[in-house]
Amino acid sequence: MDILESVKMAVKTLTANKLRSTLTMLGIIIGNASVITMVGVGQGAQRYASSQFESLGPNVLFVIPGSSESRNRTLDAPRTLTLEDAKAIATQVPTVSGVAPQLQTQQAVVYSNRSTSALILGTTPDFSSVRTFDVANGRFISDLDVQRGTRSVALGPDLAKSLFGASDPLGQTIRIKNISFQVIGIMEAKGAFLGNNQDDVAYIPLSTMSDQITGNTSPYGTEVTFISIAARDENSVGAAQFQITNLLRLRHKIVTDDDFTVRTQKDALEVVGNVAGALTIMLAAIAGISLFVGGIGIMNIMLVSVRERTQEIGLRKAIGASQDDILVQFIIEAIILAALGGAVGTLIGVGGVTLVSMVSPLKASVSPAAVMVAVGVSSGIGLFFGVVPARQAAKLDPIVALRSA
Amino acid sequence: MKTIIRFDHVSKVYGSENTEVRALSDVNLTVEAGEYCAIMGPSGSGKSTAMNVIGCLDRPTSGSYYLDGVDVAQLNDQELAHIRNRKIGFVFQQFHLLPQLSAMENVMLPMVYAGIPLPQRQQRATEALTRVGLANRLNNRPNQLSGGQQQRVAIARAIVNQPVLLLADEPTGALDSHTTQEVMAIFAELNASGITVVMVTHESEVARLTRRVVWFRDGQVIHPNLSPTNLAQVTVAAV
Repeated sequence: MDILESVKMAVKTLTANKLRSTLTMLGIIIGNASVITMVGVGQGAQRYASSQFESLGPNVLFVIPGSSESRNRTLDAPRTLTLEDAKAIATQVPTVSGVAPQLQTQQAVVYSNRSTSALILGTTPDFSSVRTFDVANGRFISDLDVQRGTRSVALGPDLAKSLFGASDPLGQTIRIKNISFQVIGIMEAKGAFLGNNQDDVAYIPLSTMSDQITGNTSPYGTEVTFISIAARDENSVGAAQFQITNLLRLRHKIVTDDDFTVRTQKDALEVVGNVAGALTIMLAAIAGISLFVGGIGIMNIMLVSVRERTQEIGLRKAIGASQDDILVQFIIEAIILAALGGAVGTLIGVGGVTLVSMVSPLKASVSPAAVMVAVGVSSGIGLFFGVVPARQAAKLDPIVALRSA
Repeated sequence: MKTIIRFDHVSKVYGSENTEVRALSDVNLTVEAGEYCAIMGPSGSGKSTAMNVIGCLDRPTSGSYYLDGVDVAQLNDQELAHIRNRKIGFVFQQFHLLPQLSAMENVMLPMVYAGIPLPQRQQRATEALTRVGLANRLNNRPNQLSGGQQQRVAIARAIVNQPVLLLADEPTGALDSHTTQEVMAIFAELNASGITVVMVTHESEVARLTRRVVWFRDGQVIHPNLSPTNLAQVTVAAV
């Protein structure tokens, strides 16, 4: 019997029992939809995080306190990084063109009767060039501000707006932790970084920050939260990383374990890639399990169906169906269920991915590979899980089958 | 005359040594082309087993069975399926029509397995259904037909591949006496047109309408050629 006839026959059988066929497909539909959605979301997250780090520029390095291992053990970073470290890097590492130590804390910011909570970031003039934060109006913190510990503040545009509304903030006085600061500049809008709004920030001189806002909390000097560094160019990033690491090891008198980490944009991208890749694999694995369960569902229903259709199978054999004919018929039924379920699941998955990319910043997209794998796997599952019931059907003794009335 | 069925010392044994059941014991039997014969006997006499062997649904344990000159015992599953498809037409007590298919589609089924193209299938199915008087019921599903009509569809399905042998297993067992007459009339007419008919039945009124009765008991043929007309006396004597 040719395949086309078998397919026609299978379609006839499956449409004769629409509710059951639909329910049988449901497992595969859900499995397939979740594979495609999950992989789409996972890859979207990866692309989002990567693009954020790429926007930092290729020659940026970060020094953060604690080794990557020690930071895994505790939420509170060790306070080992100091302003003196930053100065040493700036003066002693030849491949570095700018060093911006940062000390930050969340504080209430008050202007006349308005109050809001914002990130207060103590830093040096290099910050604006290293991290490419531009001033829209007025000026950024100067070396003089840092030397003298002036009470000057540059505001992110969102913070300026929430404090001052439409009026001009320049020259006005705001209060941070009950200390008066004069607004010297407004920054250009920068957008969010990994979900943090970078425009809701007040920039003050690092010295003012450590003397008057946070106090000196590190036993080694003026503590900084982390140091952003610009290498001279993209090619000297590796050298800069090496030199900074050596310098800090000397300064911190380190024998075995580093108490700091120097990370390049490339490292960060790699970490993001690893994390997001693991996330994608995990999501795909969960979705794959549901696809597998869907396959078992098909096998289950098919086994029941073989038992129910014992007489039909016996009759078919009596009028000339060989074991192979019966085998092929049941396998085709299973494949049709799985492939159709896979197709419907794919459509739902594509819908899910589109929805996610519409309502979230994740640029989720349908990966053709995921679609192909999911559809291929679900058809394969139909074949795989269809074989057992189909063999059972094919092996049925026609006499027993016909007598089982 | 051509021999359609020849049993040559056929035995069929079920079970293993200790629980051995000899369903057929050294049976010799011959049915010529064009015969119309009934297989009778009490339950457990081996008539159903004989039927299964004749229908190539089962193989003999020993001995040879020649169907239309071919030794069936030597054939594999594929070849047996082919024989069932081309040489034998089955009619069952429970009709065994597929409920999701129309009368027409049910009758076309054996031709699907024979690989006959669709236009020819439709034409031959229509002819077969017309022959059993169902030309106006082509597109009805089995549940839209009476029992007698369903059995006529089953007969049309059995003859559509022009078999050498029409094999009926208690074909009137599920029918009332009126439809029994109708169905038996069709068998008689088919036999008159040259088809060899063998049916298993336990109803002597049905067997009386055939032309030869083969009587089984304890796995053996004890009367290979009874006349259906004096069946009543023999039945009493044989049992």
